[in-house]
Amino acid sequence: MDAALSKNAARVLKVFFAFVVVFLYAPILILLIFSFNDSDFPAFPLTGFTLHWYHEFLTNPDLKGALETSAIVAALSSICAVLLGVLASIVLVRRRFLGKAAVSALLLSPLVIPYVVFGVSLLLLFHRLGIPRSMLTVVIGHVVISLPYTILVLVPRLEQIDVSLEEAAYDLGAGPLRTFRSITLPLILPAVVSAFLIAFTTSFDEYAVASFVVGTRTTFPIFLYSALRFPNQLPQVIAVAVVVIVVSLIVVIGAELGRRVVERRLEALES
Amino acid sequence: MLPIAIVAAYSLNVYSLLPGEHGFTLDGWRAFIHSSVYLGLFWKSVKMSLIVSVAVVALAYPLAYYLALSGTKRKYVLLLVLIAPFLTSYLLRVLAWKVILGNEGVLNTFLFWTGLRSHDHPISQLLYSRFAVMLVLAYVWLPFVALPIFVSLESLDRRLLEAATDLGASRWQAFLRVTLPLSLPGVAAGFLFVFIPTLGEFVTPSLVGGTSGYMYGNQIVDLFATGFPDWETGSVLAIFLLGVVTVLTAAFSRFLQGRQVAGT
Amino acid sequence: MEDGRDLFERRLSREDLLKLAAATGGAGLVAGRAGLAEAARAQLAAESGRLQVLDWAGYGNDGGQSMFAAYVKAHPKNKPQFSYMTNEADALAKIHAGAKADLFRPYVGWVKYFATSGLVQPWNPKLITNFKHLNSFMVKAGQYQGKQYGIPDDWGFDAILYRSDKVKPKARSWGLLFDERYKGKIAWYDDITMIQMAGLYLGFKDTWNQTDAQLKKSQNLLKSKKHLVKLFWSSETNLWEAFGSGEVWIAYAWPNDWVQMKKKGLKVVYMKPKEKPLAWVGMFMLLKGSSRPKLAHAYVNAWSSAKSGKWLEDNYGYGHANTLARPSSSDLLRALQLTNPKAVTLPNAYLDRDIPRRALYAKAWEEVKAS
Repeated sequence: MDAALSKNAARVLKVFFAFVVVFLYAPILILLIFSFNDSDFPAFPLTGFTLHWYHEFLTNPDLKGALETSAIVAALSSICAVLLGVLASIVLVRRRFLGKAAVSALLLSPLVIPYVVFGVSLLLLFHRLGIPRSMLTVVIGHVVISLPYTILVLVPRLEQIDVSLEEAAYDLGAGPLRTFRSITLPLILPAVVSAFLIAFTTSFDEYAVASFVVGTRTTFPIFLYSALRFPNQLPQVIAVAVVVIVVSLIVVIGAELGRRVVERRLEALES
Repeated sequence: MLPIAIVAAYSLNVYSLLPGEHGFTLDGWRAFIHSSVYLGLFWKSVKMSLIVSVAVVALAYPLAYYLALSGTKRKYVLLLVLIAPFLTSYLLRVLAWKVILGNEGVLNTFLFWTGLRSHDHPISQLLYSRFAVMLVLAYVWLPFVALPIFVSLESLDRRLLEAATDLGASRWQAFLRVTLPLSLPGVAAGFLFVFIPTLGEFVTPSLVGGTSGYMYGNQIVDLFATGFPDWETGSVLAIFLLGVVTVLTAAFSRFLQGRQVAGT
Repeated sequence: MEDGRDLFERRLSREDLLKLAAATGGAGLVAGRAGLAEAARAQLAAESGRLQVLDWAGYGNDGGQSMFAAYVKAHPKNKPQFSYMTNEADALAKIHAGAKADLFRPYVGWVKYFATSGLVQPWNPKLITNFKHLNSFMVKAGQYQGKQYGIPDDWGFDAILYRSDKVKPKARSWGLLFDERYKGKIAWYDDITMIQMAGLYLGFKDTWNQTDAQLKKSQNLLKSKKHLVKLFWSSETNLWEAFGSGEVWIAYAWPNDWVQMKKKGLKVVYMKPKEKPLAWVGMFMLLKGSSRPKLAHAYVNAWSSAKSGKWLEDNYGYGHANTLARPSSSDLLRALQLTNPKAVTLPNAYLDRDIPRRALYAKAWEEVKAS
């Protein structure tokens, strides 16, 4: 007898799970349907199939500019977040020092700080330091936000790696940098890629902090937000929404599955 | 060396929150504490966040339970399927609900179309209400909350459960006495993951909340961004929120540490 | 006889001389003007790049193209590039944050504030050929200490829009926005003008300069009636969405909102309350650091033409400061009282003006929202 679940309970839960999944994806599906609907307002009954909205958003210069800005900010901030994350993770996992708990708490703190507080404090900070708001300030904000996520992905992976491999490298005369490049890095590479992707999607989608510290260029979420409050471009926005959601779903699921496959192979190699 | 630089940056961050624009004064704080309006708004947000968090945890638990303990073969894939929506755009998912909930939105026009409701009587309380805000926030956070609960349930030692049933306990009793207490750290973590961000929420309320769905986070944003900026009051409100959140987090981690000790 | 001929000759020669003088003078003038035009064009040529305009939604490339089409035609290399302001405070924040705008469009209540802020410079009306057609009352409203800081453009009212098929007002009054019978069907505007409106309803003499006690009264009125309100709108399209779908039946609104809802086929009435509506006039203002002042003048000139004015009235339901602009619809003509050059002021309406205690009003409004 299964101590955790009776057969009936298992069936009920299975149905519940399916229900929830449908509930989670249904709104996305609805967006998908209405992105092809030939009408200015998303409402039933459906009026006709069209690719018009997709075409329109592709020729919308404001939208494209916002996408570009977000892509640049996301790329820059995730590269920095990953670099800092790798450094921080190595220090946290391999070194011993006083106050480790405090430091790791501090590094992970953005996870439990409401973004509105964060945005406000960054705004005040930049104001005090006299740094004008610009893409750079958004990048800084996003690095700080993404850093905990990168650390959370990298630390477990680093812990998994057998320290003796690195020690063997040292014994053979390799310096720390060489060791890192040849031993550690290849082994944590899947996690690094994962971390990069998580940081990228986090930054690309981030609205709250960006709205406080952005300069005059708009990021994609900021563009979206004003489009939502000025819904005369609604159908186009829906088309964009569908594209972004589908792409991010594919990227995230694909990357995660890919990571597991590669890591399993690497573990096999290690043993 | 670099991590230390990061830490320094963080502390500067928090320091800058102090309402030092016009010198360090306690006036702002005095006004805040004596003002029933802002504290009242904070309470309102706390209540809404509590409802959302409890609902989300209650819904996420069975999902995580099913994934972790039913022995299904594809549990990691299913977990990914569950979490994936969380990793897509937040704003766009809120948009989806805006499209669905309006008087002439998808839900209502569907009801008209199928004749279940007449054109003159749409369900109007859906959009621009507290309900809308809570529904959308629950929708947004549900996938993410399942994760920590799943992790703690997965690491559950099955033998404990089997021992309990061998000793004559029913499945239900085994759950209440063994599984639930051991999974509480995960539940607590999940609860925090949704409660804290929701407390400071302002995007969803501004899009679907209307007047009654206005939350504490909105007030902070308004004091900084619109009207005639009142950075002092805004800072006070922000620090208050930060203080509450910090206390909560500290309390929960104490609680978690205590549990871990008890569990061994 | 020689004298006669002499005289005649002299007269002739004088006429000749005059003609010659006229000719050369004229030529000189033409040459001079050509020279000036060259100089101006050279100056304009020195002003390069796209004209940066900070404006409200609906007035840029998202619908307002007809207003400045003439400018685009004349200066194809300096097409306007728009960034958007949700209101004047937002524009102020953007300017402080370093937005590189050349000109923007706050409304008349802010003229004094911006004029004394050091952020703007006065216009040179001589460079705007359409200036002479602009409503003189409005032109005066754009002046501060004798300098023309604001060039009036569009104007209209703040009044009440309601569904005549759903709503039967008890009186022609601002009180409709506080009517208990229509709970959940009312929309207010998210701005401190709600405080001014409350002051009007409560009968204060100078609602732009309320005392502490008056401010408290206005605030309390709004707080006590807030539960009737479904939403505070800040973007017009948000209001149109909610009003158009029947979420709200009564709204604090502008004439354009009335026009748009009529277009949707709804039975709507734009009511001017007996306590008098508020009136506003848009004012183009030139930012101090602008590197394209001449282009800015050209843009404003295009905006100020009677043709643009007519387009604005026909399509956005707002008045235009150019007194020659007349809409196609006589309904609109009457509703906006376009034949009355002083429609925006007493006895018809209260023209929006400077608020000395703006920060306090803002705080009071924030507290209403939070309550």
